[in-house]
Amino acid sequence: MTTRISLQFIFIVLMFFGCWTILRQIDWMQQFSLNQLSAKSEKRLGDLYAKYFINTQMELNDPEIYAPVDSLLQTICSTNGINADHIKLHILENSQVNAFALPDGHMIVYSGLIAATKSEAELSGIIAHEVAHISERHVMEKLRRELGLTVLLSMTTGNGSETIRNTAKVFTSSAYDRDLEREADQKAIDYLIHARVPSEPMADFLERLAEKENPSMRHLEWINTHPDTRKRVEFIRNYSKGKNQAPRPILKEVTWLKLQKRLASL
Amino acid sequence: MEYYQGPMIQTTAFEYRPAEEEAEKASNSYLISLVASVAGLPLPIVNLLATLFFYLGNKKGTYFVRWHCTQALLAQFSLLFMNSAGFWWTLSIIFGNQQLSNAYVSYMLTVIIFNLLEFLATIYTSIQTRKGKHVVWWFYGELANKLCKR
Repeated sequence: MTTRISLQFIFIVLMFFGCWTILRQIDWMQQFSLNQLSAKSEKRLGDLYAKYFINTQMELNDPEIYAPVDSLLQTICSTNGINADHIKLHILENSQVNAFALPDGHMIVYSGLIAATKSEAELSGIIAHEVAHISERHVMEKLRRELGLTVLLSMTTGNGSETIRNTAKVFTSSAYDRDLEREADQKAIDYLIHARVPSEPMADFLERLAEKENPSMRHLEWINTHPDTRKRVEFIRNYSKGKNQAPRPILKEVTWLKLQKRLASL
Repeated sequence: MEYYQGPMIQTTAFEYRPAEEEAEKASNSYLISLVASVAGLPLPIVNLLATLFFYLGNKKGTYFVRWHCTQALLAQFSLLFMNSAGFWWTLSIIFGNQQLSNAYVSYMLTVIIFNLLEFLATIYTSIQTRKGKHVVWWFYGELANKLCKR
């Protein structure tokens, strides 16, 4: 009798897993358009957040500022097989040293960050890091972790403007988790190498900000939101050791100088 | 008396004719799991707890009552594992870092199918035991025979 009960139990377990395996053969994500739904939600969220930031700060569309930064972005994308059309660059007038990625490929770069970089390679490093967050789909994962799916759904279906305002700081003042940051750094270095942009200046920039970092310098948001900076600097230097090719400048010296001059006049 | 003989459920003659009160209690052991599972949704433990308390409350009841309480409890117990896995998987998608996937959707559909089958069997058994009939489920009935002493 015990053997029969055991066999019946095994049969039930097999039936359960058999049923699950058979059902797995059907592409439910496609059937219920679940992938499309999440793509639509991401687009809506991206538009809402981008609109919020653009409405609260002045967007700089001046060609002397926008064009050089966009050239860096386009070069990083084109040399790494990334569809640049998917990334929407917004340069906002803000003295904070910060840049961040929003859902659906929106990238916000504050003028304060551009002004704080000393070379196109430093700025390229930061842009490459944010491109990595976008291409590796870290943004939605971060939002899901920070806010939960229910909040996200309520934002995409209902009137989410209030929630957008309350949750925008997720992007400006909190980091991705350590693994995602490490992945973004690693990807950024790969992107820079492919674009023949030296990666060392990215480490120099982080190091410079980390050195300056003290409680009175709260405007250095980008560094505050990316913890363990010294470890990151070390990682970037170790990872890129021996990989850099002969550098190929993206911008003309004069263009870079004009950009800095224009930012200084703001 | 004619008895239903299905592949998974069999209505057989019990060794004695249960009294009206016994039939009612035995039927309630199934009914309570139904009510609790509806009331306790989506928590997968509520129906098991309700059935467990009913089982404990009737531990000194007659053989017919204890037997059906045991069968009801065993059925709830096996559902607990598959439902709990589905419950935590859902929570990790909502609040954690799990993604909505084909594996998840098909798992939840499997869980729904098994729960539905158990739900229908429970309703049927509750009605039949109320009439004093002895409904024996495949596997669970044999296990109840083994666990429930006269």
